[in-house]
Amino acid sequence: MGLLSIIRKIKKKEKEMRILMVGLDNSGKTTIVLRINGEDTSVISPTLGFNIRTINYQKYTLNIWDVGGQKTIRSYWRNYFEETDGLVWVVDSSDIRRLDDCKMELNNLLKEERLSGASLLVLANKQDIQGALKPAEIAKVLNLDAMDKTRHWKIVGCSAYTGEGLVDGFDWLVQDIASRIYVLD
Amino acid sequence: MDDEEDLSNPKKISNEDSISQKHSAMIERLTNLHQSRLQQQEISRKSDSNLSPSFESTKSFLDRFSSLKQAIETELDRCRNISDRESKSILIKSDLEKISLSISNLEKLVAENSYFLPNYEVRSSLKTISDLKEKLELVNSELLPKKKFAFKSKSSKTKEQNNVVVVNENVIKENDVDSNVKVRDSPGFRDKEGVVLIKHFGDLEEGEFTLENLNSCEIRLIGRLRAIFVHKLKNCRVFVGPIMGSVLIEQVEDCLFMLASHQIRIHHAKKTDFYLRVRSRPIIEDSNGVRFAPYLLVYDGIESDLKECSLYEDTGNWGNVDDFRWLRAVQSPNWSILPEGERSGTVYISKSETSSENS
Repeated sequence: MGLLSIIRKIKKKEKEMRILMVGLDNSGKTTIVLRINGEDTSVISPTLGFNIRTINYQKYTLNIWDVGGQKTIRSYWRNYFEETDGLVWVVDSSDIRRLDDCKMELNNLLKEERLSGASLLVLANKQDIQGALKPAEIAKVLNLDAMDKTRHWKIVGCSAYTGEGLVDGFDWLVQDIASRIYVLD
Repeated sequence: MDDEEDLSNPKKISNEDSISQKHSAMIERLTNLHQSRLQQQEISRKSDSNLSPSFESTKSFLDRFSSLKQAIETELDRCRNISDRESKSILIKSDLEKISLSISNLEKLVAENSYFLPNYEVRSSLKTISDLKEKLELVNSELLPKKKFAFKSKSSKTKEQNNVVVVNENVIKENDVDSNVKVRDSPGFRDKEGVVLIKHFGDLEEGEFTLENLNSCEIRLIGRLRAIFVHKLKNCRVFVGPIMGSVLIEQVEDCLFMLASHQIRIHHAKKTDFYLRVRSRPIIEDSNGVRFAPYLLVYDGIESDLKECSLYEDTGNWGNVDDFRWLRAVQSPNWSILPEGERSGTVYISKSETSSENS
């Protein structure tokens, strides 16, 4: 029985993916995670610290780390880099003024060696708001095309408010990670 | 051994003579032993001192240490200068290895002499050694950067041509991006001074709104909104109807805000009062002298707007402020509850009043 449970455990572990959600404050990281997990999104305080959600997605178990984006606590992001399979960068598409900040922080993140193997999903959030920039425009401003050619990345427009686009984004992310890690499946 | 044999003598004669004899014999043996030890020590001391004349003298140790240290340093500088002329890396590599060897010899020297050196000297010389090591590491990384490990495909001839094409594409793309980076502005009030700015949001207009660079203005935003961004306001009074999403406030001073929203973030605010109704906990960052009170705004139809935005009930969160710069259990000195005696009364803004002086 002991051995069997160990094998089961390892088997289960193999299907786990560690996903790190980061982005500027007010971009909607926590709302996205709660929306995907089917939780109530009507009362969400700005994240002081981090939240973890374990979500079963297709045949995989996603451990999603949602880390607060306030300026004061951005320096702690690096404590969460280790063993990250997928990186989700969330952008507030309606916050045009801070897109420069957003670009700078993303560039800093992508320089990080510990994240060099992680697939990158850029979520252009708040598409439901009138006047929000389209994903293609965000990609241009963030200069995503100039990224290191070895990086697997995709930008998807979404709305954590309506839920639109979230599944598309996470489908791609999970598939991409799976194809890198579980090639033998 | 002899003693034992004697003792084990079955006759067990214990006369005093034999005992004293044995005693003196033992003393003699012991002194002999001591003598030989001393002699040996003397010899070893001589041989040691031949090898290292600095033995057991702090001053001579320090002299030797500093001269060795200097030699290593000059060697390091030499290596660095060679690199400027882009000389062969193999040569540098062997040189650097030599330096590393002499540093470890220096370390050994300190270790050997540490038992008689004063504590301070040991510590300072160890520090010097670690500095030297660091310097070597630096020079090493400067001169011989490690190649990143990577798999490479062997068929490079055809690939190379492809690569050239890709690079060209990149250049073109980057140029494109540069010219296109200018983004449109979102709707909002910007760059005004000393005016009253009024805007009505109808049922259809559900977007975000920006207040930026305003000085000594009164701003009234009536109706429902999705989000507002506030940036660089001075000495302004801002009254806003219910907001479905979030509010982001940055760099405000000497202002008054009345806001109802799901989320409120306040950065770099000074001496400003906030009258809030908020579903979650408001947060402040890098702010001071900010005070909080409940929402007191009224206009015709605000009740249905509040209901529409699920902001009808007051959660009492207007006073549960998180200061991200004050992560302790005690009350942050940066914010306080506005005392009831100092609060403004209910503010009524008329929906019909549309006159906004030259906005």
